Formats: sequence, C-alpha cells, structure tokens
Amino acid sequence: MLNLDRRHFLAVSAGLSSLAMTAFDANAQSPQRGGTLRVSVDQAVTKLNPLLARVDPEFMVAELLYSALTRVKPDMTAEPDLALSWTSSPDLLEWTFVLRKGVTFHDGSSFSAKDVVATFEAILDTKTASPARLTVGPITSIKAKDAFTVVFTLSAPFADLPVTLANNNAKILPAVVAKSGLARLDREAVGTGPFKLVSYEPERKIVVARNENYYDKGRPYLNRIEVMVYPDSTAEGSALISGDTDLMARLPPTEFDRLKKTRGVKVSRAPSGQFCNVNFGCDQKPFNDVRVRQALALTIDRDNMVNFVAEGFGTPGNDTPLNAAYHYHAAQAMKKADIAKAKALLAQAGYPNGLDVTLIASDRPPVRTQLAIALREMAKPAGFRINVETMPHATYLDQVWKKGSFYIGFYNMQPTADAIFSLLYTSNASWNETRWNNPTFDKLIAQARATIDEKKRRTLYADAQKLMNLEVPSLVPVFFDLLSAQRDWVQGYQLHPRGSVYRFDYLSLAANAPKRA
Amino acid sequence: MSPSYFLKRIALIGYTLLVVSVIVFAITQILPADAAVMLLGENATPDALAVVREKLGLDAPVWLQYFHWLTNMLQGDFGISMRTNQSVGPELFAALGRSLLLALLSIVLMLVIAFPLGVYAAVRRGKAADFGVSVVSYIGVSLPEFVTSTLLILLFADWLGWLPATGYVPLTDDLLDGLAHLVLPVLTISAILIAHVSRMVRSELVDVLHADYIRAARLKGLSSWTVLFKHALRNALLPTITIVAMDVGYLLGGVIVVEEIFAIPGIGRLLITAIQNRDLPTIQAGALIMATTYAIANFLADMTYAWLDRRIQYE
Repeated sequence: MLNLDRRHFLAVSAGLSSLAMTAFDANAQSPQRGGTLRVSVDQAVTKLNPLLARVDPEFMVAELLYSALTRVKPDMTAEPDLALSWTSSPDLLEWTFVLRKGVTFHDGSSFSAKDVVATFEAILDTKTASPARLTVGPITSIKAKDAFTVVFTLSAPFADLPVTLANNNAKILPAVVAKSGLARLDREAVGTGPFKLVSYEPERKIVVARNENYYDKGRPYLNRIEVMVYPDSTAEGSALISGDTDLMARLPPTEFDRLKKTRGVKVSRAPSGQFCNVNFGCDQKPFNDVRVRQALALTIDRDNMVNFVAEGFGTPGNDTPLNAAYHYHAAQAMKKADIAKAKALLAQAGYPNGLDVTLIASDRPPVRTQLAIALREMAKPAGFRINVETMPHATYLDQVWKKGSFYIGFYNMQPTADAIFSLLYTSNASWNETRWNNPTFDKLIAQARATIDEKKRRTLYADAQKLMNLEVPSLVPVFFDLLSAQRDWVQGYQLHPRGSVYRFDYLSLAANAPKRA
Repeated sequence: MSPSYFLKRIALIGYTLLVVSVIVFAITQILPADAAVMLLGENATPDALAVVREKLGLDAPVWLQYFHWLTNMLQGDFGISMRTNQSVGPELFAALGRSLLLALLSIVLMLVIAFPLGVYAAVRRGKAADFGVSVVSYIGVSLPEFVTSTLLILLFADWLGWLPATGYVPLTDDLLDGLAHLVLPVLTISAILIAHVSRMVRSELVDVLHADYIRAARLKGLSSWTVLFKHALRNALLPTITIVAMDVGYLLGGVIVVEEIFAIPGIGRLLITAIQNRDLPTIQAGALIMATTYAIANFLADMTYAWLDRRIQYE
C-alpha cells in the first residue's frame, strides 16, 4: 500500500517542518495574485462564531475570517499574529503581550487592547460555553495596560501561554460584539482575518473574499475561496478529479491511492499527534492492577495495528499520547508483542485462566471499532477474552465517556504536551478518563508547566513519558497521519500537523488553474 | 366524493399529524443524550451543560417543552434549531424545496420511461423484449443507490468528464450548471423508480389482459390499441398509483443516501443530522413535513382512484 518508506518519509517531513517558514518564504517570491480557490470539506460548518467552533471545517472558516493573538508553527512553537511580542514575569504568573498597530476589523473599526480584553472575558464566561475556556490556559484576569499592551494574570505558573493562545477558538472579536453581540456571529463575521465573509450556507458552501485591509500587505494571494461541503468522501474525491474543486482538505486512507494515481492531482501526508487509545479505569478491577494493563500492552503488534486501523497511514504509539509531531516527544524503545510475558503477568495478577472484559467503542469515527476488534484478536492468545460492544456516538457520550472503565478514545493533536497531559492524564485533568491519579506524574507535569528552560522541560516531559510507558494508564497503539489532496495548480499548501491549522493566506493558483468567476 | 367526506379526511390528516408529533417527541426523550451533550461534545463540563440546557429550554419539564412547541407550532412558528441557532422554518422549507425539485424531476423521468416500458413488456410477454426489460429492471431494483450513484459518477464524471461529480448548485444561481448537477442524482433515483414501477405496470397489465372483459372488447372488434389504452391500462393503473404515491413519500426524506453522495442539502439529510444531534425542533418539524407528504400523497392517490374507476365512491 505504501510506496513511500515510512522512515524516509518521517525524516523528510521533519525536515520540512523545520524549514516550514523558509519554504513559505521561497513560495512567496513568485505567487500570482488573484483567482478563486475551491476547497472541499467533509462536514457542514454550522458554527460560524469562532468562539464556538468545534470541528475542523469550522476551524478552517474561523481561521480565514479571524486572527488570534498568536499562531502555532508546524514545529508547534508560537509565532506572532495580532500580538507582535510577549514577555513573562520570572514566576510565569504574569504575561505581557504587545499588540500590532493599525489593524482594522472587517466592519472598519480599529483593533486595540480593549478588543482583546473583551474577547477573553467572553471566552472565560461560562455563559458563552466556549471550548476555549478549558484549553486557553490558566487565565484569571486580563487587563489593558495601554491601547496596545495587554497583561494576562494566571492562577498558576504556565510556560505555554503563547502557544495556548493560538487556540482555534481564541479568535479576537471587536469589544462591542464580544460584550453584547455574540448572537450576531451566527450569521456574520467581524474579524481581522485575511478574508471577509461573502455568503454562508452551512450545509453547502461558504464563500470568502480577500480582505484588502489585512495587516499583512503581501497576502493573501487569492481573491476568493469557496469552502464546499461534501459529506461523502468518494464523491468528494471525484469532484477533485473532475476539477470541480482544487483542494480536498482531509482525505480518508481509502481515497488516498485512487487520488494518488490521478494525473494532475497531488496527495500529501503528514504525521500528526491524532491518536486512538484504549482507556483503562485504573481505579477498578481488573485494570487497577498495573500488571493487567502491562499484560494487555504486551499483546499488541503495533506495526500491524497501524496497518489494520490506519491502513498503513500512521505511526505506532508507545502508550504515551506524544509522538514525533510534538515538540517535547521523547523517543523510547517501541514495545513489542510478547504473549508469553503477557500470560505470565496476567497469572501473577491472579488471572491464570485468563480474563473476560467488555470493551466499548463508539461508531464515530469508525477507527474506534477497528481498533477494538484488532485488540480483541491480538489479545486472545494471552488469555484476554474481550467482548467488543459498539454503540452510537450519542449514547457513548451520554453513558460511557468518562464513566466507563474499558473503552476506546479518539483525540486530535493538542498544541502542547501540557495540553494533552492535563486534558487526559493528570489527577485534575478536565477529562480524567483513566483515574490513574499518579502523584509522581502530576508533579512532573506541574513542574514542567512552571519551567521555561527548554532543556529542563524536556527532561521533565521525558520522565513523564517513561512513567506512562511503564504504567500504561491507557494503551496508545496508533497515531494517524493527516492526508490531503490537491490539484497541481494549487501552490503553497502544506499540511500542518496540528490538523486544524490551514494558512490559506499562503495559497496561490498557477497559470493553468481553471478560471472561475 | 361528498364535501363532508373531504372534510373528514382533512381532519383525519390533522389528527394523524398530532399523534405523530407526540410519538416523535416521546421517542426523542427516550434516546440517550440531548442536544446540549451533542452541541458541547467532548467539551461538556457540568456547568457548560447547565448553561446550554437553560439556553435551549431543555431544563423545563418534558410536558411543558411539548406544550410550548405545540402552541408555537399552531401559530406557524417551527422554533429555533438547537444545532444551528437559526429558525427551523426557512431552513426546513429550503431543504424541502431542494428535495421537491429532485423528486419532481425523478418522477417525470420515471413516468416518461417506466409506463411505456411496462406496457411494452406486457404486450410482448414471453418474448425477448419482455425478458430484456425484466433483466434490466431486476438490476435497477437490486442495485442500492450508493452503488448506482458511484458507478454513474465514475462513468460520467471521472472517465467521460461530461458532468460534475457531485455538489448542488441552485437553479437561481446558474440554471445550466444547476441542471447539470442534478442529472446524476435524478438518474440514480429514477433508475430505482423505473425498475419497480415498470415491473408493476407489466404484471398488472398482464393480469388485466387476461380478464374476460378484455376478451369481450376484442371480440366486439375494437382495435387492439383501443383495448389496450382505453380498457386495459386504465384498470391496470390502480395499484400502480398507490406505488407512485408511496414513492413520493420515499423521495421526500428516503433518498438520504443520494442526498449525502451528491451533497444535496435536502430534507432527508436535514432530518438525519437533526436526529444525530438531538435537535428537537428540527426533528419535530421534519417528521411532520414527511408525515404530511405521505398523508397528502395517499389522499391524492385515493382521489385518482375515484377518477379512474367511477365505481369507487368515498363517503
């Protein structure tokens, strides 16, 4: 299935990401201005309000229309967006951001510190119900020091703030909208982004046109972008082949080969931190015994798991939520299947005759079920008799998620190591699904949060990953690659490992692109 | 047909719709998870859930929710979608319009092809032509929509490049482009309709052609043309009318697969998304619209019966 050697590919893409900014600049020499680009997405854009966006197509549209304070680069470090520079107090409790001057919103009003303050107050207000409230950082208050300087005060030392402010939802709104006009944003967009909203049909088509007053004078290159919704991925692929669309933002592995063989179509893949895992309730029998968890981890043939669950378009996981796409990933020897050892561990734990357990998998996305079935078969020889139960996603969210003790999870890549650890694995995690509650791990994560020194942080995170690899609060056997496809006339597109970052302001069309009104 | 019968039928439709709305409402209450859970997804914290539930009115007792919905509904207000925060009415009627367009074109194409095909097969019964029609309609009936549509896309969009693969363009935006986008979905749907309507026409007509009164008409010396179209077909049509009426119901909501593949934001897709997201007002309104279509289609079928066969009287 793979024509590309994975190791080689990883090396190339790692090189690419470090060269990303230079690559963007190299493209910047020649791009043609103008033209209409059609990009296809697989889900409707029902939330136009950036504070409430939840799925990738919504993040895409939010990014076209709005700006945040910072942006995350392909190497997952922060770069300026509306904030030009930032400094922190030595205790990392107070962060000062200097803002860009001369920026205007799409309605012509000018941008200043009061807009930033009002936006973050809206995000932190529980009534807004923005997902960013949990993920934007431990912010207690935000004040405007002067018209172009804002100061964030935090509840705990936090070194990642510049990266977490690049949050998909933390887009800056005009103060007047953030304070009392959020309902307006269901149908219109008032941002400072590279494009302005032209028309909005949630289930079919969203059209944006170049913002002539965008703060970056060179960009965007395109005049217009049409975001087209195609719920069926085969039909979506056909639309790309027939030239109806120019770029397919996300590609299922089943479409990859067909599009790769098509002349004039270019496919790309990038490793990302998106993963599927198996959550253990570490506070309940039988998984409260670390040996049972370790035994199950030893039954998995991880390379085969990648082939089966991700159809080869992925990388094996080592029972930590970090892989090479994360800045603080620490490589460890990959676990290998060892059935004899798994049996021995299970016997030591008091299950010499094996063990019956029910594994629950939601039906969305389908990889959850695939992982559950693969695990059932791989674990059988060691004495695990796994009964796989699948259910509709709504039922799963209501009855199993965060409550169950043995079920399949699926997570997008987070911007930082801290974000994924404190979302899922610390004792006070927002979604403490595993109830692992390991004090040593908590301490490592808290220390890393409060450390700005790169080398020290790397050591702390490496220790945390070692601990997870050893104690297995959840099985992480597979990470997914991101796949996309485009016509060869689209220039400047690069898959971002974060998945929900697109940078369409760098796209341009070559001379052979179809002319569209 | 007496006016009182007509009024009775209308009242019955109203009663049916009320019962449907109660049942649909009750079922959505039994389903696990509500709109707030689906809206917040994995970002649901207890306080966020409470805020969203309050905003959506989901914190009120069930009977009160239903009562509110019903009183608004009777005043012509379909409510606000819990998923998109837009009024349900315009969204629903726009979707219904797109589905109706698709349904109308498919039915016209079906009528133009299926009836002559069925009649031809019945007249040539047992001959090669009959066999050919049978085989083709078997294929049409047995191929599911997603196979037919994928094959059509491969042929006309991928290989020949004559038609756009998928997508929906409103006819008001660009008439020609809009029609071009409708060709493949209409072909997909009518392939199925043609198959089973032509089979129905054929088998009914074959039965009728064996009836005594047809023999009598022939013996009377009428031309075979008159016998076929004036006497036989008229009677053979009755069961077919019922089938076509049921098909109209199927077309408005049942062609979800076709709507999905060709990215047509029709009523079927709207309803499925609403159900997945527990969007109560949209589910209610959508279910009512579909129930209404079935009821009206059935009503029209009954009236057509009476018109075709004067012996049928409704009291």
